Amino acid sequence: MDFKLLVRFQDVHLRYGSGPDVLHQVNLTLAPGSFHFMVGPSGAGKSSLLRLMYLAHRPSSGRLSIFGRDVSQQDRKELTMLRRRIGIIFQDFRLLDHLTALENVALPLTITGQSLDKVRRNVSELLSWVGLADYLDAKPPTLSGGQQQRVAIARAVIARPSLLLADEPTGNLDDKIAERLLFLFEELNKRGTTIVVASHNEGLVNRFNHPVFKIVNGEVRLIRNEQNATASITTDGA
Amino acid sequence: MFGNRNDVPLDRDASSRFLPWLIAMMVYLATMSLVIALTMNKLANRWDQGLSSSLTIQIPSESSESKRSAIEKQLKLFISKIEKLDNISKVEQLNDTELNKLMEPWLGKDILLHDLPIPYLISIELDNSSAKTIDEIKALLAQDIPQASVDDHQRWLGNLLGLTKIIQIIALLVVVLVGGAAALMVILVTRMGLAIHRQVVELFHHMGAHDSYIASRFQFHALKLSIVGGLSGLLLAGITIASFSSLLGQANSAVLPTLTFSAGEWGLLLLMPLSASLIAMMTARLTVLRSLALMP
Repeated sequence: MDFKLLVRFQDVHLRYGSGPDVLHQVNLTLAPGSFHFMVGPSGAGKSSLLRLMYLAHRPSSGRLSIFGRDVSQQDRKELTMLRRRIGIIFQDFRLLDHLTALENVALPLTITGQSLDKVRRNVSELLSWVGLADYLDAKPPTLSGGQQQRVAIARAVIARPSLLLADEPTGNLDDKIAERLLFLFEELNKRGTTIVVASHNEGLVNRFNHPVFKIVNGEVRLIRNEQNATASITTDGA
Repeated sequence: MFGNRNDVPLDRDASSRFLPWLIAMMVYLATMSLVIALTMNKLANRWDQGLSSSLTIQIPSESSESKRSAIEKQLKLFISKIEKLDNISKVEQLNDTELNKLMEPWLGKDILLHDLPIPYLISIELDNSSAKTIDEIKALLAQDIPQASVDDHQRWLGNLLGLTKIIQIIALLVVVLVGGAAALMVILVTRMGLAIHRQVVELFHHMGAHDSYIASRFQFHALKLSIVGGLSGLLLAGITIASFSSLLGQANSAVLPTLTFSAGEWGLLLLMPLSASLIAMMTARLTVLRSLALMP
């Protein structure tokens, strides 16, 4: 096993229940510190691939290694510890409406039992960094869509994850704000976070020089690589 | 601020409104059943102690004056013999006033005993319940007053004690069933909570929360609601006990039970809301853990 790889799919299939394959023979590796886009039409399997990466499912067959650990072989407690190294930005944000922005962002830290003082200080700093210093005590329903998204991003990165997964983060944004958001992801990437962004907006993705893989009918294909690419993608028989 | 906050918004669920009421009813039923079981136990002990060490001897009355005086002589002789036996605490022939008092519940206050063929009654109390002493008394009676009959209360006491045992068993069974019903109810409410907050639970799971962290949200919510419900149920049971106690006190009957409890028995009654709370908490925890175990 290559421990230098952050994520490694080997002939991975995924199906839900007894249904057909949602993902078919996926072979894919991501190196630490890489930045990837994932494109494809709705229903192609982008979210399913992300769900495998954030350990919401185990592969139906094949082998998936994350942080050098074969997730099929890990017990539930070990998977919990792996999940703490993964940040997720959901398309619908999934903020808790009854908590303040500060409390929402603090969740990944408070679930690990970190001290309250430390949590407050770190969270305040991060919310200031994403431009929400004046909204620490605001509840999500009182925030605009863009502000909610920044809270969701802050929550995803507060625990300094090694891998950041974003599912259609630009879906509800106009191009200018979406571009600014991707610059923010590049900033995080420069600090060492491996990033995977799923998007159906290929025009926006093409403005950035990062590897792009495309999912069509559950099959993953590399459609663009950057110079000194850090990703390699193989498809059936490749 | 963060540690105390219930980050799964369970307080807003409909279950938060009705669970305390259901728990209150359950604790009320369980407490009253336990009260019945305890009271029956005490009543059975009282009857057993009071009656198994006492005898009543009954001699039929005679119509002629001469026969009556002969019987009274026989009675005096018999009583003097009984008094000499071991293990005898008290022997007395019931006088007219006492007989009147005995007959009062059936015949009213203004009865004239001499107009009725009221039998002679001798009450004998033993220091300790003893079959040997009872046999000695019966032998003396057969010898001196053969027409007399002995009531050692064993026949109906046995039936009564059997009945109280059955009532006790049923009452304790009700306590167990109420506990089971409470657990089932909490399972249902917890599953409802899991279904309503599925997305939040999944979010916590994906962020790397341990199962026990998620379960703690549900278990402390169930604990909080069941403490409120349990104490309300206990308070209601306390009011009922006090009311019945007052009514029984007014009746001032030796046959009816009294609702007075020892410190230990009060402790047992106080355990009802505590047990309900613990059952609710543990049931909620196990339900959530079982549900989370289905997630990878």
